[in-house]
This record gives sequence, C-alpha cells and structure tokens, in this order.
Amino acid sequence: MNTVSGQHLSPDDFDAWLAGALAPDARNHLDHCAECRQQAEAERGIVTLLASLPLLVPAPGFADRVMQSVTLPDPFSLRSLTSARRKLLATPKAAAFAATIALLLVGSMTASIVWSLGHRETLMAVGSWVAQAGWVAVRGVASNLMEQPWFAALRGSLEHPARWGAVSALASFAYVLGVLAFRRLLSLPTQQVAHAGL
Amino acid sequence: MPSAPEWATLTDQEVVLLARGGREAAYRELVRRYERPVFALVFRMVRNRELAEDLSQETFVKALNAIESYRPEFKFSSWIFKIANNAAIDHLRRRELDTLSLDGSPHAETPEAVQATALQVGARQESPLEAVEAKELGATIEAAIGRLRPEYRSCILLRHVEGRAYEEIAEILDLPLGTVKTYIHRARNELRLALAHLKE
Repeated sequence: MNTVSGQHLSPDDFDAWLAGALAPDARNHLDHCAECRQQAEAERGIVTLLASLPLLVPAPGFADRVMQSVTLPDPFSLRSLTSARRKLLATPKAAAFAATIALLLVGSMTASIVWSLGHRETLMAVGSWVAQAGWVAVRGVASNLMEQPWFAALRGSLEHPARWGAVSALASFAYVLGVLAFRRLLSLPTQQVAHAGL
Repeated sequence: MPSAPEWATLTDQEVVLLARGGREAAYRELVRRYERPVFALVFRMVRNRELAEDLSQETFVKALNAIESYRPEFKFSSWIFKIANNAAIDHLRRRELDTLSLDGSPHAETPEAVQATALQVGARQESPLEAVEAKELGATIEAAIGRLRPEYRSCILLRHVEGRAYEEIAEILDLPLGTVKTYIHRARNELRLALAHLKE
C-alpha cells in the first residue's frame, strides 16, 4: 500500500512537473499520492490538447499587405536625427555627456568670436598676406603652364567657338554620368542578389 | 549584408538593426518570423479570421513604422506580442464577438463567402478521417479557449500554444509574475472542466 508523504503539490509544482523539473521531495509525494497524480495527468492532458491545436497562418500575401503600409526609414532623414536626439537624451548619463559636448562647442565658438573681434588688425594682416601669397602662387602656375611646349597648340585648337561648345558639352556629359554612377553606388539594394552575397 | 539563407543565423535584434538601416528585406524577415504566431494569438483572442488578419496587419504596421522606438534590451517577440495582444484586447473591449467556426463565418450568406472566411491552417500529414476528427477536436478546444476570460486566454495561449516563458508573458502583458502563474493555473483548471467530456 502506498504512503502519502508531505503536502499536496502546488500549482508551481505541477508546472515544474510538466517541465520535467519537479523537486525530489515533490516527486516522492507524487509517486505516492493518487490525488496529485490524477491532477498532474489532467494538467498534462490539457497541455497536450493545447499543443495539438492546428498551426494558423494568415492568408497568402500577408507580408506584401503589411509592407504597403510601412514607411522605410531614410538614414539621412530628419526623423533619424530626431531619433538620434532621443537616444542622446535617453539616460541622465547620456544627457550629461551631450550637454558637455554642446557646452564645449558653444564655448569654443564664443571664444573664437571674442578673440576675432579683439584682434581685427592681426586678422586683416594675416588675410592680406594669405591673399598676396595666393596670387603669387596662381601667377607662378599660370606662367609655368604658358611656357609649356604644348600650350600654344592647345590654345590654337580652342580658338574656334564651336570647339569650346563641344568641349563644354563633353565635360557636362561626363559630369552627369559621374553623378549618376555615384548615386547608384551609394543607394541601398532593395532586392536580394544571390551571387553578390547581399 | 546577409543573403536569404543567412537570415536564419541572425538574431531578432540584428535583423532590427538592418531594418533601421532602411533594408526592406529585414522588414520582411521580421514579418516572416512572427506572422504565424501573431496571427494565431490574435485569431484565438478575437475568433474571427478577417478581423484577426486586420488586427495582425495593424500590429505589424504599427511595430515596423515605430521600429526606431524598439529598445533592443527587450525581446522583439515580447514587443510584437504586446502590441498584438493590446490590439486584440482593445477590440474585445469595444465589442462582443461571435463564436468560433473553423468552417467559415456564421454570417457568410453564400458558399463562396463561407469558403472565403474559412480558417486556413498549416499543413500537417493526416488522413481524411484524422483530419475531420482533428478539426472537430480543434474546434472544441478553440471554443473552450474562447470562453475563458480574455486575460486568461492571453496567458494560456502564450504559454501553452506559443511556448513563451512565464517571465516573457509577464513582460508582454505587464502583469506580475505571480499573477501570470495564477491565471495560467486557473485557465488550465477551467479548460480541464470544459473539456472533461473529451476523455470519455
């Protein structure tokens, strides 16, 4: 005859039993208590029935219907900037860090403006020297180019206005092609390309 | 960038990061991963196929359009289930629903409408007789689940149909862990009484 030991199993014990993790004491009780065993078997029966429920699937094309109403984020959009700002202010530590950076930026800009206003003569002298040096450099490069043996031939070939037009058109075309190629290079792929490992 | 077979190796969090970078394929992968469990949960909550489709769609649109606000320290599954459950509960609060029919809406007036509203289930290998028996048994269980209180229903579905941990269910439903355990235990008891005749 079986001897019942300890208290009846609690709901947590039944959960543990269903998960195969019942404590040894409770296990011992279950082995000898017909009431708890019956309860445990009933619990298992319900769990088995629930697990046998059919797999439900939405109608075909569900993902397409969802995607029609989803707006893909543009990493360079204002919304992303808003999100970055939200992240920066997410915790007190992040907010303090952001405030420090902002303070440093504003402080350095203010210091720069104040210094500039107090040293206008120095800035004018430096500006004048830089402009002079730049002009001398440009003149040096120009005279150097004009002394090249091919310069006269090039100048002669471009004297006719039609040739200027052709060269301008060619340069514009090359520029447009370059811009299009660059855009294509930077755009994110929207489809899987199997052989490219995307 | 992952190719199609490599998606399986990525965690939800990694897929979300790709989605935030504007990759449509990442969005589709998130839908692919959760369309079945989200639809199943919502369907069993509202017990109407067309409505479940709408609410599931609404759930994904809401989640994916707010992907920037998702916090990666939480499970993506918890987040999407929370949105889905809220959508279903909100709807249940607004109106009472019809009983479940696996064979189509009781309001369908033509055979085409009945067919159109019949529930689609995933493929399982069964003989025709087994299929009929399983359908009847399934309808009986679904009806019993449908009679549970909505909060019990969410708990028992997430635990024993979707296999979610107690802690995750507590997070999804914003309930204390003890309450979730109590609800699941009570729901199992109610189902045991409601389905007692199946043993005979």
